[in-house]
Amino acid sequence: MAVCRGRRLLWHGRCWYSQTESAVVPPPSPAEPLYPPVVASFTAKSKAAQRRRLEHFKQRVHAAASIEEKLRLYGQLQRPKYTVYPQTFALNADRWYQSFTKTVFVPGLPPRAAPAAAKSPGAVTPEAAKAPESAGPQAAKAAGPGAAPYLDMGQLRSLACDALLQESFYQNKKRPALYRDQEHTPGPFLTQLVSTLAAFLCSRNPLLAASSLDLNPEVNYYWHHGEEVVVHGHRKGRVDPVRFQIDDKPHLQLRVPKQLPEFVPLESNLGDVPVIEHKPSKLPLFKKQYENKVFIGSKTADPCCYGHTQFHLIPDKLKRERFVRANLEDQIEVVYRANGIASLFAWTAAQAMYQG
Amino acid sequence: FQGVRQAQWLTKTKLVEGLPPSVLGIVNDPAHQLECYEEGAKRAVSHARFWDTTEVAPRREHYCPVLFEDLIHLCRSMAVKYPALTKRMLARNYKIAATWERESTLLQVRGLNGILMNSMAPIPPVASKEEILATEEHVLETFYPISPTIDLQEVNVYRELNNTGFRDGYPYSHPHTLFFLESDNIRTNRFRPEQLRAKMLMFAFGNALAKAKVLYGDDPKVLEQPIVVQSIGTDGQLFQFMVFQLNTTDLVSSDGIKNLVWIDSDQNLYEKAQCVPEIKKRVVVKPAGIYGFQPDTFKKFLALYLHGTV
Repeated sequence: MAVCRGRRLLWHGRCWYSQTESAVVPPPSPAEPLYPPVVASFTAKSKAAQRRRLEHFKQRVHAAASIEEKLRLYGQLQRPKYTVYPQTFALNADRWYQSFTKTVFVPGLPPRAAPAAAKSPGAVTPEAAKAPESAGPQAAKAAGPGAAPYLDMGQLRSLACDALLQESFYQNKKRPALYRDQEHTPGPFLTQLVSTLAAFLCSRNPLLAASSLDLNPEVNYYWHHGEEVVVHGHRKGRVDPVRFQIDDKPHLQLRVPKQLPEFVPLESNLGDVPVIEHKPSKLPLFKKQYENKVFIGSKTADPCCYGHTQFHLIPDKLKRERFVRANLEDQIEVVYRANGIASLFAWTAAQAMYQG
Repeated sequence: FQGVRQAQWLTKTKLVEGLPPSVLGIVNDPAHQLECYEEGAKRAVSHARFWDTTEVAPRREHYCPVLFEDLIHLCRSMAVKYPALTKRMLARNYKIAATWERESTLLQVRGLNGILMNSMAPIPPVASKEEILATEEHVLETFYPISPTIDLQEVNVYRELNNTGFRDGYPYSHPHTLFFLESDNIRTNRFRPEQLRAKMLMFAFGNALAKAKVLYGDDPKVLEQPIVVQSIGTDGQLFQFMVFQLNTTDLVSSDGIKNLVWIDSDQNLYEKAQCVPEIKKRVVVKPAGIYGFQPDTFKKFLALYLHGTV
């Protein structure tokens, strides 16, 4: 009883308060609508409500104050996701990765790219996004006086030879530890080569003078692609985007403060993205739930926020001889392609996210 | 024991405070325009201390090598102005071995030390002939009654080895600068500045001696062309600069011409690097950033790098 009366008093109190308020508020002007817009509910279990929640989330991310805040909101919700490894032994991994990342594969180098010396010693894959400014020899011959200084290929060759000789021959080293062949010779050789070449070519490419070289950096990216139905668990039956995460550790990375110009315009049609009807777990790809990271190698405050080149070392497990012995010669190419697609997609997409 | 003083006795060296005049000349020379690299040096420090990791603040064993790499990258990009700088090569994880006798005790320096930078051309001698002859009168400091070999590890040596770490015919045969990075997370595992200076002196001496034995043979004698080796040691914030000149390999007796070393110690590159802003009672007291950046330290670093080619 006491409760009822208390509640009625409260209700009357509220009534009284609302009457006073309506007396105070002036009548709305005729241009404004009288009622708030009629939209779908926010918390109902319906597709319209789901759409509205998605819109609200997107608005929150766009309205966030800084890029770190946006990235934090973007990767806040943790759910099981597929971990994509760039260096993988899975068969035909490059077609799968192309379908995940919406990439079209074009064999050969991009047009107007530099005739870069094809140095691929051992098991190294230089993934090139080389600046067109290093189209050195052609520019030097075409331009008249006041041209860029002559690109001394002899000097470059001797630098490369010196680095190779030092690491493999002249320096007294112990034998490599078990399964650590890559750290013993090719790794230091690559570091030496890149640093000496970058220093030497600073005069031709002013971007290199302002660049930043990372040793063993980390590159992470998290994205959604496609949809699937949740199979089991308390969220069974709901439609969810398929989540992927790439965690990559290239051997070396060069970052520059200016964006490299694009090779091919945005709308050009170079081919089709392969479509694969199976689930990603057939690749094989496994799901794990952990932190959703987006990272290019340094934080957003770094002025060198655009990428130039990444260098990867293919591990011994994926070397040519093993594939040849197992009668899988065509998969050798697949390994390199998949590595390039996955690593560079993660890097470029993370750089794009860093821009806002 | 007493750090640099003990190392001086062991290597028969005379100490001179401050950097030698040739290096100071490079620092103060306005023609080199070392000022425009201040911005790059600040960026290198911020990159190493703040931006390089997904965690909030990187550990010392992460940021110390990153800072070193960035500074070297900056120095190397100066090859635009001085083409002779391309004749340099870094060597990591190399081993040095040098043996010498010092008043009836056999001493040796061996093993992995730091990162060495080699160059094709040797550094010209820093001290003049008069200064070298003047060291004859200098008396080495002894620590009577403490034996000078206190705190040294006693080891049975079966081969008296003298090895620069590289084979014959190596094009970059002259050791130029040694870099020491004290990058352990735990403070007790790191060397204190005094001990770091002693370590730098011993290894620079070892390198110079090995090179001298390769060039001039094993007989102890006074060198007409003294060998100069530089050395820089850091723990990510504090820098120690050192220039060592080997004048003689006659180390058995305690008199005669001595070797020379110039040490510039405890140069701070920056006072404090605040990763997260310090907040007291909901008010930001110290915003994040670098405090007390001193461009002079980087200028000295660069000058030591350029020394020998300029």
